[in-house]
Amino acid sequence: MTDVLMAILVAGFTSGALYALATVGLSLVWGSMGMLNMAHAAMLTLGGYVAFTVITSLGLPIAIGFAGAILVGAAAGAILYFAIVRNLLKNDKSTFESNVMIATVGIGIALENAILLIYGGQPLKQPVSIAGAFRLGPLTLPWQNLMIIAVVVVMMVVVSLALGRTRMGRAIRATAQNRDAAQLMGVAVNRVYLQVLMLSGALAGICGVMVSSMTQLSPPLGNDPMLKAFIMCVVAGLGNLPGAVAAALGLALLESFVQYALGARWGFPSLLFVVIAVLIWRPSGLFGRAEIRRM
Amino acid sequence: MTDTRPMSRMSRSAKTDLAISLLLIAAAIALPFMIDSRYILGQVVLALFYATIASQWNLLFGFSGIFSLAQMAIFAFGGYATAMLCFYFGWNVWAALVPGALGAVLFSLVVGLACLRLTGVYVALLTLAIAQTMYLLIVTDTECFVMVGSVCRQFTGGAVGFARFGDLGTRALLRAQWLVGNYAIIAVLFAATMVFTYAIVKSPIGLAFRALKDNPGYAVARGVNRFQAQLLVFGISAFFTGLAGGFYAAHFQAIGPGVLSMSQLMFIIAIVVVGGVGTFWGPLVGTVVLVLADELMRESGEFRTLGLGLIIALSVVLMPKGLVGRFGDLVRWLARRRTGPTGSNIVQSPAPAGK
Repeated sequence: MTDVLMAILVAGFTSGALYALATVGLSLVWGSMGMLNMAHAAMLTLGGYVAFTVITSLGLPIAIGFAGAILVGAAAGAILYFAIVRNLLKNDKSTFESNVMIATVGIGIALENAILLIYGGQPLKQPVSIAGAFRLGPLTLPWQNLMIIAVVVVMMVVVSLALGRTRMGRAIRATAQNRDAAQLMGVAVNRVYLQVLMLSGALAGICGVMVSSMTQLSPPLGNDPMLKAFIMCVVAGLGNLPGAVAAALGLALLESFVQYALGARWGFPSLLFVVIAVLIWRPSGLFGRAEIRRM
Repeated sequence: MTDTRPMSRMSRSAKTDLAISLLLIAAAIALPFMIDSRYILGQVVLALFYATIASQWNLLFGFSGIFSLAQMAIFAFGGYATAMLCFYFGWNVWAALVPGALGAVLFSLVVGLACLRLTGVYVALLTLAIAQTMYLLIVTDTECFVMVGSVCRQFTGGAVGFARFGDLGTRALLRAQWLVGNYAIIAVLFAATMVFTYAIVKSPIGLAFRALKDNPGYAVARGVNRFQAQLLVFGISAFFTGLAGGFYAAHFQAIGPGVLSMSQLMFIIAIVVVGGVGTFWGPLVGTVVLVLADELMRESGEFRTLGLGLIIALSVVLMPKGLVGRFGDLVRWLARRRTGPTGSNIVQSPAPAGK
């Protein structure tokens, strides 16, 4: 019994950590710019494939593979800003929310398909993986899962330090609180947007490497974690980072319990029922502030 | 005398719409006589389905501002309901179409109720999750429901879906010309959808939808019932979407989970975005352009989806109002040029005289 419980907990915490990383990337962009990045899934996939190329095809060490995924992810974020976001911000503010969503959907499809054309549809093995397990009395903890949790925790600390302690982080938080006031106080809002998208792209890159190390590399790799990350964002309230992490862990544990108890196919629907229940009870999420919109 | 004047005198835009409709009807009647290729006629029928779904999504998003991503789920619901009624109860397809559409309306009302307190992207995320759940539950369904011969069949049809449950009866009636018959039926469906949508958009209900989209707070303060209006628009758009789903299943004599895939939904969104969000003719223009582009890209095979994605992104950035909006800009620009500086004097001169 403890074996089963342990397996469920390990699986739940590992996927929870992965979802948290994906959720933070999404939530950061939403919180500071009111933009829902539908291309996040494709950016996740991109990170996984970049690491694969660097490590397997070029034969470079794993650390450089990680660095490559981070750099390419950040570059993808920057390209997204210059090609799409900057142009849409010039238009009417009220249409930005839906326009940017549709545009990033298009970018996401194009990117996923470009990856499919370059690498082909067959699943590839992500070289970033550690065999074996850590034994502690009756408990067995695979090193792979421990590594993922460790990497995610490190990333969370890095992100919270970057947001809490640096000048850039202060500018991001100011923009998130009130864009106009931040601009009036001399914050270069456009530069903040660029930084946020690059940061989110870098997070997506790492997340993609981690997700693909648990399964395999395939072009639609990012879609499943992203859909779940969306759900977690909504449950937590879009834009709330600590809430997003809490919701990611809670829902991932729930998912792995349901998958064990009722079978794998009910994992996702159970998340959906939680979301609907939460949204009926609190329309702006568990930890979200009810937004007062001026007409 | 004065009461009848607004009735008898149509506004200019209504006249334009009427002229376009008459032209389109003439073109639609002439089309089967001009096209010999079965392939092209088949693609035209498919395009009419896309245009019908897109026009209803436009009613929901363009006119009412509800960013629902459950459109294909509602379409699939109508199609599945029709197919299942025929498959399990042996109904005639024609008898099952309206019950299927009503089933889709019920499903859509449930979705609408779940979205009632939400705004903007929250609606999009919830409806996307609902559609994705429906897809996953159908694809992963492996429990045997009935045995057909020696083959196990799932209640929802599983990953394969339903086939051979009947057709529209055109094959028995028209033999080799059955495709023309189906074309006529689907064209009438599309025309009916457009006429009904036009009536809705121009009616007080349509104004209420638009008021809620433009400024919800002000609209509610002026006495628009948000609860009623939002459920109404979900129900109306679902009826025609579900009906189109039923006809789709009957035309292809098959329906499977493929219609729920992300790329199908994106194609519909692309149609509306390229054509023009919130314009009456936008979905039709978008369908023509995108189906043609799709056919051209078929030559280059694998770049099709890539091209589609780029078209969506570029048209949002370059033409926020779509092709119809750009066309309107062009017409206004030409009109300004034609009247020119002398023309503007003529336009202005009656105003002081009227005083």
